[in-house]
Amino acid sequence: MSGAYEVLSLDDLDRIPVAEGLEWRPIRRRLGIRSFGTNAYTSERVGGWVVEEHVEGSGHEELYVLVSGRARFTLDGEELDAPAGTIVFLPEHDVTRKAVAEEEGTTVLAFGGWPDRPFEPSQWEWYFEASDQEPARAIEIMREGIAELGEKPWLLYELARHEARAGRRDEAREHLAQAVEREPRAAERAAGDEHLRELLP
Amino acid sequence: MTRWASAHLDEIGRRDTWITIREHFGVRALGINAFVGPEAGDEIIHSHAEDWRDHEELYVVLAGHATFTVDGDEIDAPARTIVYVREPSARRGAVAKESQTTILAVGGKPGAAFEPSPYDVAWPWMRRAAEHYRAERYAEAAAEMREGLAELPGNTALRYNLACYSALAGEPEEALAALRQAVEEDPRFADLARGDPDFASLREDPRFTQLVG
Repeated sequence: MSGAYEVLSLDDLDRIPVAEGLEWRPIRRRLGIRSFGTNAYTSERVGGWVVEEHVEGSGHEELYVLVSGRARFTLDGEELDAPAGTIVFLPEHDVTRKAVAEEEGTTVLAFGGWPDRPFEPSQWEWYFEASDQEPARAIEIMREGIAELGEKPWLLYELARHEARAGRRDEAREHLAQAVEREPRAAERAAGDEHLRELLP
Repeated sequence: MTRWASAHLDEIGRRDTWITIREHFGVRALGINAFVGPEAGDEIIHSHAEDWRDHEELYVVLAGHATFTVDGDEIDAPARTIVYVREPSARRGAVAKESQTTILAVGGKPGAAFEPSPYDVAWPWMRRAAEHYRAERYAEAAAEMREGLAELPGNTALRYNLACYSALAGEPEEALAALRQAVEEDPRFADLARGDPDFASLREDPRFTQLVG
């Protein structure tokens, strides 16, 4: 196989537990896609999340494709039954959206981007991936994110959190201060975090 | 625009075997469509490269079973296979191994905001012209291109195809004028025209040679 293309199965994707049965299955980062965001989400149990409740803070328009199983979406409070083959499109980033699996093994593909400007990866891709890792590996992942996206506040914040978990308090203090300087809301979040609250200035 | 919309793949309009997801929803951030092979052996994705618009493309087999060919390599692709073609110049295509094989195709140009292809935008005229073309009614096909250009004057796909159909209809002056304009707007049309059999009647015309090199 040349470097021009790559082949894999949805079943080969990593499974990173997030919450309430939702497993994040990274695609964009795994393949190095640069022009749009895409990931898969699976729940192996009925009632588990396949889309966590959120609005799209990035401002992306998003499109969800039900690949297998069945899901129940809630969109701005309105319910939608979505069997496999359903596509849900959200042009407005501030629609509150959530979906739960109605069948075991339900998988949703999500695609997103801005309508009027080039795609850039989101910071959360790195901190989601680091979330269930040992501190040393989590630090590496956050440093990879900073190398790719620059010193973004939430990347610095998560780097500090994993450094604190690893007992590297001086580095953690410095990176937390940098995060707060760029994004004051990082201080509020740190105040509620057992690893970071003692490191706030 | 509504705040959200949904549809099953079976409910979305088709252009032959092309399920027009992007157009149906008005997606603006990326290109997304699906393609169906009704019977085993049917071509689902015609062999093509994406270097004319520098797209990377992601294909997901949603149902059935396909065989992809990418840069000459055969890839067995049952449902849930993902084929990511990062290199725009790689030639790729797919054929159905089972009836009703369905492939989702998603694409965009890294570092640029998404724009639909001129072929996509010009589809209503392209479709009618293709019917005339198959019936060898080349003047009618050219008329469709002129009509499309009245609506979309900057559309290079309509311009190039006006050149093709005019050449076939025995209208060399219009063909050369349209081809000249298409090449000025996008020099890659010169490469395309050089090997395009639609211009057989112009091959000996020095103006054609000058245009395409």
